[in-house]
Amino acid sequence: MEKEYLIKLEKVNELRLEDAERENVLAFFEKRAEDLASLEEVETSNITRMVHVMPITAGIREDVAIKKFERDDLQKGAPETTDGYWQVPRLVE
Amino acid sequence: MTKYETVIGLEVHVELATKSKIFCSCSAEFGAEQNESVCPACCGMPGMLPIVNKKVVELGMTAGMMLNCDINRVTTFDKKNYYYPDLPTSYQTTQLFAPICVNGTVEITTSKGTKNVRIKQIHMEEDAGKLVHDDWTDTSLVDFNRTSVPLCEIVSQPDLSSAEEVVAYLERLRSLLRFAKVSDCRMEQGSMRCDVNLSIRPEGSDKLGVRTEIKNMNSISAITRAIEYEVARHIDALETGSEELVQETRRWDDIKGKSYAMRNKETAGDYRYFPDPNIMPIVIDDEWYDSVKKTLPEFPEVKKARYVDKLGLTEYDADQLTRSRALCDCFESASATCGMPKEVANWLISDVMKMLNKKSMTFDMLSLDGNKLGQLIKLVEDGKVSRANAKKILSIMFDEDINPEEYAEKNGYIVSNDTDQIASIISAVVAGDPKAVADYKSGKEKAIMSLFGKCMRELKGNCDPQVLKELLIDIVNKA
Ligand SMILES: [Zn+2]
Repeated sequence: MEKEYLIKLEKVNELRLEDAERENVLAFFEKRAEDLASLEEVETSNITRMVHVMPITAGIREDVAIKKFERDDLQKGAPETTDGYWQVPRLVE
Repeated sequence: MTKYETVIGLEVHVELATKSKIFCSCSAEFGAEQNESVCPACCGMPGMLPIVNKKVVELGMTAGMMLNCDINRVTTFDKKNYYYPDLPTSYQTTQLFAPICVNGTVEITTSKGTKNVRIKQIHMEEDAGKLVHDDWTDTSLVDFNRTSVPLCEIVSQPDLSSAEEVVAYLERLRSLLRFAKVSDCRMEQGSMRCDVNLSIRPEGSDKLGVRTEIKNMNSISAITRAIEYEVARHIDALETGSEELVQETRRWDDIKGKSYAMRNKETAGDYRYFPDPNIMPIVIDDEWYDSVKKTLPEFPEVKKARYVDKLGLTEYDADQLTRSRALCDCFESASATCGMPKEVANWLISDVMKMLNKKSMTFDMLSLDGNKLGQLIKLVEDGKVSRANAKKILSIMFDEDINPEEYAEKNGYIVSNDTDQIASIISAVVAGDPKAVADYKSGKEKAIMSLFGKCMRELKGNCDPQVLKELLIDIVNKA
């Protein structure tokens, strides 16, 4: 990582590092980049991608429409409603 | 003078044809009262978890297969964060890192020939709700019925270069997606809408110009006008310096015929995309993949060629039928039942299409049972029901689930072969109209037609016209 890029990251994250700290961070990232590069040496072409640390995938449901809730119940906690609508401060585009 | 070329990419949203929403079991159908198709999940109550609708994934795969895409066998959902009251969770669940489909192509045909448009990706996502601005109370009213309705976004590469190509591309997408029953793609109802990304550059240049995005277009003719306007605006800006072009999002006002700048385009970083931890990756195994692949329809042009080559239809008829999957399905099952494809095509094109037009229905809204249409046509061809009466039965079949033969029997629509009975009816008609008989005998050939008409009415149309004519002339001559 270049110093200029680090300064840009500092800016968008509203941080300010001293020069000595920058040296540390850059050295840290350089080491991590080396670690990652060493992974390239591992033969992975025959290995399936790990989907999750546990052997599970998403539960999915069939396409069936069910009405389980009434509008009035859902709007009980609403600060303001009108005519079945939630009512919010006006938005100007 | 510099010649310019236009570079256009499209993001097309289509609403997927499911019964329920993408992450909850609320109905996805149009037309419910405000906030009647809503539950704690899709109105963003805390603690609710999404469960993916299987059909959404299958329609996403289908769309990809129709557009020659690679299907990502492991596909994941991400959160796109922004605050707006039509989005109750403050994030839209969409796909950024592993969208369901990538790398497709769509072939389009224009006056300049055929061309392949590359598809970058197709991703699944949820729609937002609807805001109604209430001038009276100066507030906004929120309806969450459309929140979490499933969408597919089809993102093209910037391969299009004119309004004509854009129209051809949209029509091709619409045709393929309707054929595969992915979406009804009705632009006027908002189930298909698109964002147009456009820039211009001097011809031959490989550097892209400043890009503007026109959001939320939902009419093909408006898209054409908007593109023409934007191209002229860009060229004018470059040639005369009348304005500085900036990368921005614009809104098209079709009544004024102008585009206007909207808020500055957010960059991907602003949305703080991150993987949705509540939805595990979806894995599409071979079995699932193959089962979806099996449901793919023939492409419209393949069907058309088959109708012409194998079933003997004219180019024109085949063209008419392949405008809609519903017409094709009805045609194919009716032809299988009666074995007379040309007759079926005639009935569909001359009668059924007319009836649909009269009811202001699209061809895809046709729900006529093809098997029963085939039975009806067979009744006509076998001489059991007259053509005129069959049309009456057809109009009933449009609205009611009836068996054509039973209905014809019950309502007196079966053609009579009983010549004695026909003759007695003719005799009564002839006896009641001596003037027509005299006219005919004095050489006025046309008089026989009025008698023929009266007899046919008496017989409720249930008679072979040829048989009736012969018997009638015979009886008149003897009278
Ligand atoms: Zn819901």
